[in-house]
Amino acid sequence: MEDRRPTTVAARRRGQPARPDRGARIASLMNAARDGSEDALGQIVAELSPLLWQVARAAGLTSGDAEDVVQTVWLSLLSHLHKIRSPESLTAWLVITTKREAWRVRAAGRRQLPADLDWFDATPDPAPGSEDQVIIDDQRRALWTAIGRLDPRCQELLRIVAFVPRPDYAAVAARLGMRPGSVGPTRGRCLAKLRAELARGDEGSPA
Amino acid sequence: MKPPGAGGWPADDPLDETDLQILADIHDLFQAADPMPADLPERIRFSLALRDLEVEVARLAAEEDRQMLAVRGPEQTRTITFDSDSLTIMIRIDQNRDGTVRVDGWLAPPQPREIELKTTSGALDTASDEQGRFAFASVPQGTAQLVVRPAEGAGGSGRSVVTPALIL
Repeated sequence: MEDRRPTTVAARRRGQPARPDRGARIASLMNAARDGSEDALGQIVAELSPLLWQVARAAGLTSGDAEDVVQTVWLSLLSHLHKIRSPESLTAWLVITTKREAWRVRAAGRRQLPADLDWFDATPDPAPGSEDQVIIDDQRRALWTAIGRLDPRCQELLRIVAFVPRPDYAAVAARLGMRPGSVGPTRGRCLAKLRAELARGDEGSPA
Repeated sequence: MKPPGAGGWPADDPLDETDLQILADIHDLFQAADPMPADLPERIRFSLALRDLEVEVARLAAEEDRQMLAVRGPEQTRTITFDSDSLTIMIRIDQNRDGTVRVDGWLAPPQPREIELKTTSGALDTASDEQGRFAFASVPQGTAQLVVRPAEGAGGSGRSVVTPALIL
């Protein structure tokens, strides 16, 4: 299939989330954590906190609230760890609990952001640099613009899914209310829309 | 419904390589634009280092910073309220002149409990009185976390209540 997107940092990352031993590694860390290993739990925290941070921020929390919420979710896990059996259900539980905690904070009206999510106003600054860097910056800006044209629900969803380890896509998608495919995760409405937006952007600018 | 564009990209199709690369690009975009604070995992690991495994989580409910005009200049006073299913914990944090802080706390409903204040340089222990009051006169600044345990001799019933780690 034709793919006009030049190689980016993403290509180097490809394959990494699909490391087949990840599931086994996380499962054994979960066992050790259940037996009281703080080190094992710490490794799980290091691996999945960046995802939970994005979930909290995508829900419109300030940085300070997002830090508190992510921490609260991990504390809540302590009394649920013995009920969670698989790495994918751990990821799904953490994501959904973070969303729920974020709603709770927003409903309390504590240090609330304006309704339009502010994280989207700030386009990341292109750093001056090599020609490669310029190409990557152009791509990034095109992607940023395309995401910005999606409805808020899709923006939030794609931001979350992009941080989910690939083997856990299906479990997380199901918990987020996306229809899971019969064979593995499907593209979904939001990614389909984004690809249409990206194609539209390509047509409008000289390649 | 198909999106516009030649062929389109049906939502029900399995993820293809381009989808996965776009997701990886979105990951990198947000990782660059809004990364998790680098010290957050360390703070979380600190707050998870508990000898109690069955804990009730007290969530941050309110926080107020106030500049108090004292004789010797402005002094910072913070009041923080945490709520859990069974307990409300209020603390007031005042600066001591020697660089440490004083922490005064109240439990509602009022009750005697064992109170631990975990800090990065060790744990401080006290107990609340019948009115639910407790105090730590001198606490080093930095990361700290409150653990409220059942009172000694109370039959050991009830779960420990823990707060998130906060910066004193």
